[in-house]
Order: sequence, then C-alpha cells, then structure tokens
Amino acid sequence: MSEQHIARAFDRDLEMIQALVMKMGGMVETAILDAAQALESRNEELAEQVRQNDKAIDALELKINEEAARVIALRAPTASDLRLVLSVMKIASSLERVGDYAKNMAKRTQALAQLGPQGAVAGAGASLRRMAKAVIDLLSDALDAYAGRHLDLAQDVRARDRDVDQMYNALFREFLTHMMEDPRNITACMHLHFIAKNTERMGDHATAIAEQVVYLITGELPDDPRPKAENVADLATGKGG
Amino acid sequence: MKDLRTEQAVDAKTVKIEARKAQVFYGTNHAIKDVDVDILDKTVTAFIGPSGCGKSTFLRCLNRMNDTIPSCRVEGKITLEGEDIYDARVDPVQLRAKVGMVFQKPNPFPKSIYDNVAYGPKIHGLVRNKAELDEVVEACLRKAALWNEVKDRLHSPGTGLSGGQQQRLCIARAIATSPDVLLMDEPCSALDPIATAQVEELIDELRANFSVVIVTHSMQQAARVSQRTAFFHLGSLVEYGETTQIFTKPHDPRTESYITGRIG
Repeated sequence: MSEQHIARAFDRDLEMIQALVMKMGGMVETAILDAAQALESRNEELAEQVRQNDKAIDALELKINEEAARVIALRAPTASDLRLVLSVMKIASSLERVGDYAKNMAKRTQALAQLGPQGAVAGAGASLRRMAKAVIDLLSDALDAYAGRHLDLAQDVRARDRDVDQMYNALFREFLTHMMEDPRNITACMHLHFIAKNTERMGDHATAIAEQVVYLITGELPDDPRPKAENVADLATGKGG
Repeated sequence: MKDLRTEQAVDAKTVKIEARKAQVFYGTNHAIKDVDVDILDKTVTAFIGPSGCGKSTFLRCLNRMNDTIPSCRVEGKITLEGEDIYDARVDPVQLRAKVGMVFQKPNPFPKSIYDNVAYGPKIHGLVRNKAELDEVVEACLRKAALWNEVKDRLHSPGTGLSGGQQQRLCIARAIATSPDVLLMDEPCSALDPIATAQVEELIDELRANFSVVIVTHSMQQAARVSQRTAFFHLGSLVEYGETTQIFTKPHDPRTESYITGRIG
C-alpha cells in the first residue's frame, strides 16, 4: 500500500522493521560469501570472523521479533499490515537459519584446514563457491522482491531453487566417488557434503522467503508444488539415475 | 482460555434478513445506495465504516426505525424471513418486537429493573400471568448476564445501575419479546473496557439464539465479536464477507485503506 497511515508513527514502525530485515539480509549474504571464500582458500581467520558475526545476525532476529510483537500489541495491524508483520517474522527466522548454515560452513572450513593436505578435494572448493553464489543470488532476489513487492521476481526465485538442487546432486555424486576411490578422503568429503547439503538448505530458505513475499502481496501462499530437483535420497535407494 | 467461538459452532447458513437494492433518502440526500445484503441467522454481523457512511441508517431500516423521521424515504426491498417488512400490512410495532434494538447510550425506562424487562412481554401479551412474567424476567436477566447482580434489588430503579449494567438491562429488555434479530447501534461506546468485555461475551452467547447485527466504530470490536463484516462507505456497501477474510485479506482497496487506518 502506497498510502500512508493516519497515524504516521505506524508507518515509521513498519518501515523500521522492514529496514531491519533488509539489514539482516545483507549481513547474511556477506556471511555466505565470506564463508564460501574462506572455504575455498582455507582461510581460518575469515572463517572465524564469519562465526563471530553470526551473533549479530541472531541478535537482529531477536530485535525484529521484539519489534513485530510490539507493533502487534500496540497497533493491532490488519490486512496488508498484518501480513507484513507476520511475514517479517518468518523471513527473519529463515535468514537466521541461513546465517547458522554459513556459520556451520565456517566451522567445517576450520576443521578441513586442520586436516592439512588430507582436507583437500580437487575442485570441491570452487564448486561449492559457485553453489554459494547461486544461493546468494536467490536470497538477494528474494529480498529485492520483498522490498519492491515484486510478485514475478518472487515466483522466479521459487523456480530457480531447482538449479541449486541440481548442483547439490552433482556434488553428492562427486563426493561419493572420491570416498570410494580412497577412504582417506572420507573425513574431508563428509564435511564437504554437509556444507553442500547446508547450502542446498539455504536455497530452500530463500524460497521460503520468496513464498512469504507472495503471501505478503496476494494474501495467499503459493499452492502449486515448488519445482524441486534434490533427489539424492532416490540415488541412495537406487531409484534415481 | 477456551475459545467459545469454536465451541459454539452455531453458524447457520439460513438467511434471516435479505435486502435488495435498498435505498434511503433523507429529503434529497441519497444516504443509502443500492445495498444488497443477506444477514444470516445465528450469526453476528458487524457493520463498519467511517462516520456518516450510512451504517446506522441502514441498521435502522431493518426494524423501520427510520419511519419516525418524516423526511426519510426507504426504497428497494427488505425482507425478514421472506416477508417484506415495508409491506403496508406490516405493523411496525410488531416488527420491532421481532427485531429488537439496543442503542449507543443505555436508555432504561425510569422504572424498576423488573418492569424494564417485563414491559415488552406485557404489552405484547406474551405472558398469561404473573408467574410466567417472573420467569421471563429472570430468564432474560440471566441471558443478559445481569441476574446475579440484580436479583436482590429487582424493584429498585433501572437508572440506578452502572452504565455497563444499564446496557445489559437494555439487552435483557430487548430480548424479552423473544425477537428473531437483535440490532445493536454502538452498544459499547459508552462503556468501560470491563463492561465492554461483558457485553461482547454476552453478544457471543446471544448468537446461539438470535441473529445479531452490530454497528461499531471499533474495528477491533467488529473483529472480536462478529463472524461476518460489512464495510460501508459513502452510502454504499463496499464489501461484505467473513470477518476473518475482511481483516486479513480484504478484496476492495477501500476496505483495506479503512481497516488499516489509512486515508481512503
């Protein structure tokens, strides 16, 4: 709604909460970027920084929830205002999870660095960084769709999560191959696999944010099944191929 | 806390009052324009809208209270259980016994608490003797959640009660003639929050037996007590639907502007 509330302070409250969400989004994007870079270059210092910064992301989620509760208590929002407040809480919660995954990536980066030469798996760092980049794009588009109320962009994000799923499937097979070739790779590949899986989950959260954007704009969550391509469970049971 | 609303799943789909192309004119002023609405039985329907939007005017059409205003003219068709209430053969006094009304300011008769409630059943000849009348008075005061507070002083004046009690007395008086529909024009605007909560609780209980139509300026109240909400603006019915839908995803931008507190 472009019109303003009669109570201007209400507008200021809503703008403030949205600004906090955008700030949180920016911090989470940086966390993924730094974590992926730290992973590729085995930069323990940068990884540590990502782990430390996660505290600020968590604090911001708390702050957003407090502000949302305050608006609900004091302003009794209805219709699009209500949907805005509900969606910021869900978006903040998704962003917080993504932040945790980035932190976990940093933690595993440190573990991999400790492994020394045993922690290196050819090409994995670059692949994971590409995957992280794709996720950052999804997240940033989901947040742009949110800030600008772009329904089409939000729908697009939902569809594009498929690409991330496919990258994950490819990495899953790659790691499996490495482990079968040489059992000494198992420790590193397990860590790398969890990183890949967590990155794939980040994509799901970007999708969840896009779905909140759809809800915010239309009042309804998308009811069509989201295109998915993550199929390693089928691979494991021999159904996929 | 238990949610009475889900417990008393009494929402009926039976239409109690049906208005088609209802128009109201005050002299040359076209106050209500083409209102089509179905008021459901055993349901609380809230009319909301800015001041002067016609919600009270329309409410007053439903029991022909507008007849008392000489310049007022009503057109279109309004039926109660299929019968045209503006038909020449309809006696407005009988109609108002079937369609009760509670006003903004509590207005008990300057009589005893007992007589306030007994008045309607007496003049409409709904009771045969004193014992029956006693029963009706007690039953109505109980329904209005007032009995326990007044049972020991039934013969003291109704005007001596507190504002909230007076309003509940007026509700007891309105339901004493066993109406089908209860119209409430801002029944809580002169009450404190506690008395408001009591009246709202009462409205929710009344829903089991009556169709209740409430005009309110408090959107929170409309959201709290009603199952259906009608939004009026400039004499037209803009949107009418389930209360939950109106307050979470209204279809009309004017409804959205109004309920979110924007200039619209």
